[in-house]
Amino acid sequence: MSRPHSHMPLSMLLMLAWRNLWRQRRRTAITLSSIAIGFGLAVLAIGIGDGSHNSMVRNAIQLGEGHLAVQAPGYLEAPANYKFLADGRALQARLTALQVAGAIEPRISLQVLASSANNSSGASLEGMRIDSDPRVAMLQPKLIAGQWLTAADQRGLLMGDGMARRLKVKVGSKVVLMAGKQGGDSQAQLGRVRGIFDSHVDELDDYLILSDLPFARYFLEGEGGVAAQLPVTRFSLFLDDPQGMGYWKGVLRTALADEPVVVLDWHEMMPQLVQFIVIDDVGNYVFLGLILIMVLFGILNTVLMGVLERTREFGLLRALGLGRYQLLLLVLCESLLLSLLAVVIGWAVGGGAHWWFSQHGIDFSALMGGKTAIAGTFMDPVIYTELSAERVIQLTLLIFCVTLASGIYPALKAARVTPVAALRT
Amino acid sequence: MALLTLEGISKRYRQGEVEVQALHAIDLTVAEGEFAALVGPSGSGKTTLLNIIGGLDAPSSGQVRLDATELTALSEAALSDFRLFQLGFVFQAYNLVPVLSALENVELVMVLQGRSDHERRARAEHYLELVGLKALMHRRPAALSGGQQQRVAVARALAAGPRLVLADEPTANLDSENAEALLDSMYHLAREERITFLFSTHDPRVMARAERIITLRDGQIVSDQRPHAAATA
Repeated sequence: MSRPHSHMPLSMLLMLAWRNLWRQRRRTAITLSSIAIGFGLAVLAIGIGDGSHNSMVRNAIQLGEGHLAVQAPGYLEAPANYKFLADGRALQARLTALQVAGAIEPRISLQVLASSANNSSGASLEGMRIDSDPRVAMLQPKLIAGQWLTAADQRGLLMGDGMARRLKVKVGSKVVLMAGKQGGDSQAQLGRVRGIFDSHVDELDDYLILSDLPFARYFLEGEGGVAAQLPVTRFSLFLDDPQGMGYWKGVLRTALADEPVVVLDWHEMMPQLVQFIVIDDVGNYVFLGLILIMVLFGILNTVLMGVLERTREFGLLRALGLGRYQLLLLVLCESLLLSLLAVVIGWAVGGGAHWWFSQHGIDFSALMGGKTAIAGTFMDPVIYTELSAERVIQLTLLIFCVTLASGIYPALKAARVTPVAALRT
Repeated sequence: MALLTLEGISKRYRQGEVEVQALHAIDLTVAEGEFAALVGPSGSGKTTLLNIIGGLDAPSSGQVRLDATELTALSEAALSDFRLFQLGFVFQAYNLVPVLSALENVELVMVLQGRSDHERRARAEHYLELVGLKALMHRRPAALSGGQQQRVAVARALAAGPRLVLADEPTANLDSENAEALLDSMYHLAREERITFLFSTHDPRVMARAERIITLRDGQIVSDQRPHAAATA
């Protein structure tokens, strides 16, 4: 015959837990405040981290090779001028037919020797469409001398101030660009400096020379390219929605499976930037970890104190017929409610701060002192905090789990109470 | 017929290096409906015996039976459920859960028993009325006097419908007036509800109300009297 069992409805459990939580109002309020402030700081720190990373990535994508790049196999591992896409016209037509949601920019990248009347230096020549390429929007405002290229200017060059200093040239100077050919010969083209920019990114300012596509294409023709086929080094794709990168990468790989090309995303094109972000994220997570440890001990203190103060009461409840498991649940429930409150208040504080700074930004100009270049790109000095939905879920679960976990020890301690010993206290 | 039967109950425990024999082979039976007092000086074993009867402590040897249930053979969980459905407790002090009102305290055990909202509310109000506290039923323990708190504890013990109520020095912390009121409540409820009461005390007022007085000294029963029966005879 089965004996009757003790039965603790959830509503009773929650009611008792809630009231127990507010027995020591001041203690609970202080604990909640410390969690909320700590959590708020963590949200803000992660928001700033994500905001600065995203700013860097956006700039790197605009300055670099886009979200996705279609180029010759082996070029990434060992760039060489002869590794180009011979029939750029046909490939562009196929890409256009795919109706990619974004812009498709043909690019020519060449390793050259730049020589002026005064000096010579290795350089990276980047041929691009001078009117539509996203680099225009990024670098045109950074011009410190001369003017941007025009379509009519067949021999015009733009270069960074570091390169200009090294070649000892100024706007209007002639520069000869020489490129080695695969057969061992070399070919040269004469250009003229039209403008000098200062992007504050040393990698760009010291090595980059920009030209219109037809100028750069002369070198590819020298490598056997046919002008009519519009040869290019790659097509860079700038997606309207960066979240769709994975999708479009798959589409391109499938559609171009029969072409001698590779489709790469920006992670693959800029591994050093990815590495920097990972390392920086680790720093942020260490900070978050410290906050969580603080939160854990804060809640542990509150709940454990509450348990130790109520030993006699637990003895009474056990004597009346409350099982160990139910007592454990009661204390865990108190932690659960504290966790929920902590998450809500934490989000109110952290989320509020995040919302404000996502709208108004945090100006780090004074701290950065113009040095905004990091990992081959640059960070906007005014950082707008950013938090993705994944981050929100991740942070919420983290704080929730940590606060709940901090209730386990007090709950076990409460469950171990024996009525006789407790009632003697 | 005996409701409660104790056979050869002994209790030894260690206090530092010393082994203390708290109870020596106690044999006792308590019939259904009895209003009995365990009396004796401090340290005589009253509380230890009540704890063993209540399944809160285990004897070193011997058996405790309530009706046909052998308490010493029950697991901890089973003993907990047994207390919930068969026993009522009134302790010396701090009997109530501070965050619950008097009404909620009385309902608590019935909640654990799984009684319906309607039934437990009706029973709680009924017993609070019987102990004269219905008007104060929404007050929390902090807003009640010590005597009122003990009466709430009595109402809680009885409302749950136990076979046996164990009360450990229920009037120890009360003044005369409150002690009298509590005793009145306990006695009348015991008579009306035919519930068996076993309480420890060394309060002469309580002893005077008891139908049976079991005297303990050094862990042994030294006398077992029924003063009212003798007076009647």
